[in-house]
Amino acid sequence: MEVGQMQRRLVDYTKSLFMEKGFLDAQFLQLQQLQDESNPDFVVEVVSLFFDDSEKLLNDLTMALDQPNVDFKKVDAHVHQLKGSSSSIGAQRVKNACIAFRSFCEEQNIDATLRCLQQVKQEYYLVKNKLETMLRLEQQIVAAGGSIPMIELGF
Amino acid sequence: MNSSNGNGSMSTASSSGAWDGRDQFPAGLRVLVVDDDPTCLMIFEKMLKTCLYQVTKCNKAETALSVLREHKNGFDIVISDVHMPDMDGFELLKHIDSEMDLPVILISADATKQIVMKGVTYGACDYLIKPVRIETLKNIWQHVVRKKARNTV
Repeated sequence: MEVGQMQRRLVDYTKSLFMEKGFLDAQFLQLQQLQDESNPDFVVEVVSLFFDDSEKLLNDLTMALDQPNVDFKKVDAHVHQLKGSSSSIGAQRVKNACIAFRSFCEEQNIDATLRCLQQVKQEYYLVKNKLETMLRLEQQIVAAGGSIPMIELGF
Repeated sequence: MNSSNGNGSMSTASSSGAWDGRDQFPAGLRVLVVDDDPTCLMIFEKMLKTCLYQVTKCNKAETALSVLREHKNGFDIVISDVHMPDMDGFELLKHIDSEMDLPVILISADATKQIVMKGVTYGACDYLIKPVRIETLKNIWQHVVRKKARNTV
């Protein structure tokens, strides 16, 4: 596949993540704009950090909800952190799932919180998959000597 | 975006440390940013550096406090997350207020009126909600100038 085609495929893919599915929001664009020649891997680095950190948080959440006496304050603290990091990355659906999660934590509703955990995990793995695909497309373009096209989205 | 002064020289922070506000663009503003979330900390650092600020980052409030104590007059402004294990942003703010005269901005993913009110009444000069945009960080130098102006009255 030649570079122009790859670039068009990337643009279409990225646009669909924003517009049709709401996986990403304008905050992700902020991150892309921060990337420059002095820091050409910034997005990859932040996203990787987000993945590592989120997976730890999800493990902690799973363990916390698996206790005989659930410490909802602790659960809420973890969800709060995930809400913060996902919103800072622009992972909109993960952030929204966290918002719902927190309201059930306040109610101390164990069944609902377990469902929310599943929901958050699902959204996380979905966005992880999408981001990895997008970053792979970018890598292919750069490897073929092309440049990553700027996405115009009119936010 | 970056304007140089009439002589054509770049504005930089002086080696004695104090940012005296004469520079046209606040490059070199010395910021201490504190957040236990590594993703957010990395993003803040990059945004602040893009604003041409001089950035020091900490992932713990206690570390931040030691750094501030060791480098009196070494910073112009502190940005801190609210929810951190061990010491939270409110406690850090109280320590800073009693020991030094620095503007402190609190940040959180929490936007309830109660918590924002708490931040303001504790003496935070601003309370930002995550996700923070770079445009907001470009304006934080105003808090430094405002505080200095109040102090000289």
